[in-house]
Amino acid sequence: MARTVKIRAHEIDGQVTVKSVINHPMETGLRKIKKTGKKIPPHFIKEVIVSRNRRIVMEAFWGKSISRNPFLSFQIAGRKGDLITISWLDNRGNSDSTSAKVR
Amino acid sequence: MKRRTLLKASLKLGITGMLFPGVALSDYPTGAFLAKQIPDALQAAFGTADIGESQQIEIEAPHIASDANMVPVRVKSGFDNTESISLVVTGNESPFTAYFKLYEEQNFVSTRIRMAESGDLLVVVKADGVLHTNQRPIRVGRNSCGA
Repeated sequence: MARTVKIRAHEIDGQVTVKSVINHPMETGLRKIKKTGKKIPPHFIKEVIVSRNRRIVMEAFWGKSISRNPFLSFQIAGRKGDLITISWLDNRGNSDSTSAKVR
Repeated sequence: MKRRTLLKASLKLGITGMLFPGVALSDYPTGAFLAKQIPDALQAAFGTADIGESQQIEIEAPHIASDANMVPVRVKSGFDNTESISLVVTGNESPFTAYFKLYEEQNFVSTRIRMAESGDLLVVVKADGVLHTNQRPIRVGRNSCGA
């Protein structure tokens, strides 16, 4: 499977700004197929875990009101070369994880 | 039912256990996400719906969002020792939108949210064990999503 997480992390004065986009449909379960009137079942990311150098930094719990292909940005302390890992888990049990170095 | 919860638990341990041994992670706040009313959601998430307002929480969001499905939101907490940042959207079918638990010294979170209709974005910040809240009205365009 293609990578689902894109991460950009850069450091300025000891402060690392991380920007990431996860490829995910984030289906709310409220949308209907127009022709049949059937509801599209919910499919959304429930949890995102962020770590820096294998130490957990942030845990995000998401509901259905987060946009499709979710964007997540945050700031942490760090240095160039630190390893940022972002992993996600959705309501169907799918998951993925990607790492990137701080630039 | 038991088997199912067990399965879920093992899945979570699968991805987290390998990466971060010895870290006790918190559970998904199911009650808060299922709540249809904001007081119920706050009660489920924090144990109280009575939270004091504070201008030290900075919320950056468009006054009028062109796409209701992608409303960019930036939140900055002005408090030291910020433990968590939560987003609640009035008017959505499930108002509780996101809960960010912060483990290191950090005070900024940005993401994109859906809004079913024009309403307020409520941000709840927990810092030093005390809850604070602030809100911003956001108007959205016509093609809303129903979330």
